[in-house]
Amino acid sequence: MKRYFLKRFLSIIITLIGLSVIVFMVSRVAPGDPAKLAAGPDATEEMVQIIQKEFRLDDPLPVQYISYMRGLLRGDFGRSIRTRHQVQEDIRLFLPATFELVFFSIAFAIAFGILFGILSAVYKDTWIDHGARVFSVTGVAVPMFWLGIMLQLLLAAKFHLLPIGGRLDTMILPPTTITRFFLMDSLITGNWVVFKNALSHIFLPAFVLSFPALASITRINRAEMLEVLHKDFILNERAQGISERLIIAKYALKNALIPTLTMIGLRYGWMLGGTILVETVFDWPGIGNYAVGAAVYSDFQPVMAVTIILGLNFMIANLFVDLGYGVLDPRVRYE
Amino acid sequence: MIVGVSFLVGASASGYEKRDGKKIFVYGERQAAPNIDPSQYYDWSTRMLQQSLYDALLKYVGNPPKLIPWLAKSRKKSADGKKWTFELVRNAKFHNGDPVTAQAVKWSFERTLTIKKGPAWMLMDFLDKDGIRVIDDHTIEFNLKSPYAAFEMALPWWYIMNPKVVMANAKGDDYGQEWMKSNSAGSGPFRQKRWEHGVLYELEAVEDYWKGWENPKHINGFIYKIIRESSSLRMALEKGEVDGISGLSPEDYDAVIKNPNIYVTNDPGWTTFGLKMNTQKGYTKDINIRKAICYAFDYPSMIKIYNGNATLEDSPFPKGMKGHIPVPNVYRQDMKKAKEYLAKAGYPNGGFELEYVYVSGLEEERLIGLVLLDNLAQLGIKLKMVPLVWPNMVARGSKVETSPDLIAVFTTPIMDDPDVVAIQYHKVSWGKYYGSHFYQNEKTWEMIEKARFTVDWPTRRKLYEEIQTQIMEDVPELFGMLFNRRWAFRKHVKGFVFSPMRFTSEIDIYPLYIED
Repeated sequence: MKRYFLKRFLSIIITLIGLSVIVFMVSRVAPGDPAKLAAGPDATEEMVQIIQKEFRLDDPLPVQYISYMRGLLRGDFGRSIRTRHQVQEDIRLFLPATFELVFFSIAFAIAFGILFGILSAVYKDTWIDHGARVFSVTGVAVPMFWLGIMLQLLLAAKFHLLPIGGRLDTMILPPTTITRFFLMDSLITGNWVVFKNALSHIFLPAFVLSFPALASITRINRAEMLEVLHKDFILNERAQGISERLIIAKYALKNALIPTLTMIGLRYGWMLGGTILVETVFDWPGIGNYAVGAAVYSDFQPVMAVTIILGLNFMIANLFVDLGYGVLDPRVRYE
Repeated sequence: MIVGVSFLVGASASGYEKRDGKKIFVYGERQAAPNIDPSQYYDWSTRMLQQSLYDALLKYVGNPPKLIPWLAKSRKKSADGKKWTFELVRNAKFHNGDPVTAQAVKWSFERTLTIKKGPAWMLMDFLDKDGIRVIDDHTIEFNLKSPYAAFEMALPWWYIMNPKVVMANAKGDDYGQEWMKSNSAGSGPFRQKRWEHGVLYELEAVEDYWKGWENPKHINGFIYKIIRESSSLRMALEKGEVDGISGLSPEDYDAVIKNPNIYVTNDPGWTTFGLKMNTQKGYTKDINIRKAICYAFDYPSMIKIYNGNATLEDSPFPKGMKGHIPVPNVYRQDMKKAKEYLAKAGYPNGGFELEYVYVSGLEEERLIGLVLLDNLAQLGIKLKMVPLVWPNMVARGSKVETSPDLIAVFTTPIMDDPDVVAIQYHKVSWGKYYGSHFYQNEKTWEMIEKARFTVDWPTRRKLYEEIQTQIMEDVPELFGMLFNRRWAFRKHVKGFVFSPMRFTSEIDIYPLYIED
């Protein structure tokens, strides 16, 4: 187990280095002079050179890369050339919003995806199963940004049931900072006004972000449940007179969960990537929105930081999924 | 489930925002303003906040724009145009109560000239730090290195900062740059209240503002809320989550105007739209081909694309700007002439391809490209339409070798002086997005330089007439149109004053008020 963990840890480090080289090179070979853009359309050559010097863009590429990596090791992602803000400070500000959205979405997708998968398998070929199938095909096929805008139009603009975007209403102040998750912080401090408001704001973006994951989890859980429910050991449980509910919840579901867990891990990574679209549509102040805002100005430090953070999260999620196999299936050995 | 959540939480209602009975104006916009230091940065969103937090010696108001005294109550120019003396008002004070003095003005100009960022380019060629002299607490003198006719026109964008506050927060020799990104030290009608990066910026009115308030019902606060998607912006306005927006498509403006709670302003602006042609490379190097393109284009279609809310350009200078003349024999669609010029260029039947580069996602530019594609097809010329994101477009236009045949560009003059437009056709603008035509004509350049350093307006006016005519004759650009500047407001918002000197979506918050 220890050896396996060490191997995985090393592979994460190597992948991260590879990722850092790629994002660094892409940022440097991309067309456009970030210093020129940051200096403004009317800036003189001297003004552009001042910015180049300040951000060491006139250093040779290997020197720039080494300096960037040194910073990364200290957790320093550099400074945004456009805003002059320290990127790690911005990340500290925006990352919790993204995690809050992703955690809420993945919890939603897992809870309802597994439930719909079970119901679909148990009530195979009934209207419940057909309904779940339509739902899951739609979930995979419909683009997130389209679904987001349609739901905004219908539920926010037309029927005024939910807010259009943002994390809180304009006039509502954020709760006292503890975890930086507004729902959590408002719960801890008993600030119900903020809690209710934050819940109303997270609901639509979380639903949209979770939709493809929910659909995939439903499909895969249904298929696995169907397979497991026809296995001999389930027949044996039934013959022993164990209740159907217990068979489904305890024996069938646990065995069906291994492929579902893989899907959850993959979907978590995709969800982090999906936040870029969803956060833009719903003005959710997370790192996706932050990266988009920076990318349109060729402001590469924030984009590089967000790419590395998302990549690292994806790798960690995969590691947890692999470790989770062992918990669900004792036959799994780590070497 | 959705309905359940909505009942549980209760969605927000329409109407303006209030806090403790005070009226707050909420403005929704796409662009953030992450660095509000007047010496470091400016763009339209930043300038909108800077204008609210700071004062300058002079201020642009109205349409046509007037340069009115603000911190300076009077100004005097020497006969040679090199010495400018300003007398300051005596009652102006910074937000912390310190008086605004000539020393503060000198320090603010020195700071911007030393840092060499943001608006520094406007004056750094004409003004040295040593040229600024404090005569007394309320009189300041600027001694320019050479006469610069547009000097006073640049001053509204040079905001005055409180040196004591800035330097108290300076780190090392950074002149307070780090602190000033998100903090202010001004004397403007508003002060900072809530600053949530990437979400919103809240300002509150300075009730005892030294200049006073024109309207007793003035807004008590102002929230600049960032909403990146234009569909969300429109929904937020219609739902009443924001009181004002801009940047909608012509169709969206025409749709929201039907809402009885909303009105849309519509003013001719000075933002010109043109297709810069590379005059030094490829087919467009030949003036006859450039003329053929200009005669082939269906100009009125641009007006249709803007649903009638635009006017055609009749000069390189925007209509309404000082010195503008309608240039005779302006290019309008004439396929016969287009074919003649194409034949002169040695391509009577076309048979070549041109590249048209425009901003990716900007629908109006794409539609204009399609019109051009159709027009050029009649001459046997193919048009390759290439959408690029803005940074890549600027990169393409920065070198003769990479600058496309045609590049769609909007330009807003920053000052009410013809020099700022004329200079776009001078060699010093090569490599900038508005200089991607790489226009070369020594005679025109000479006239531009002469007009820039001439003090006497009648002489300048004559020069600018010649400059406009010559540029039109040399045709480095397909001179397109000036689209109307539009904003949509909830009906309770009053007092909006349009000025073409304000950028893209920038509005002056000071005169606004809310009335039920």
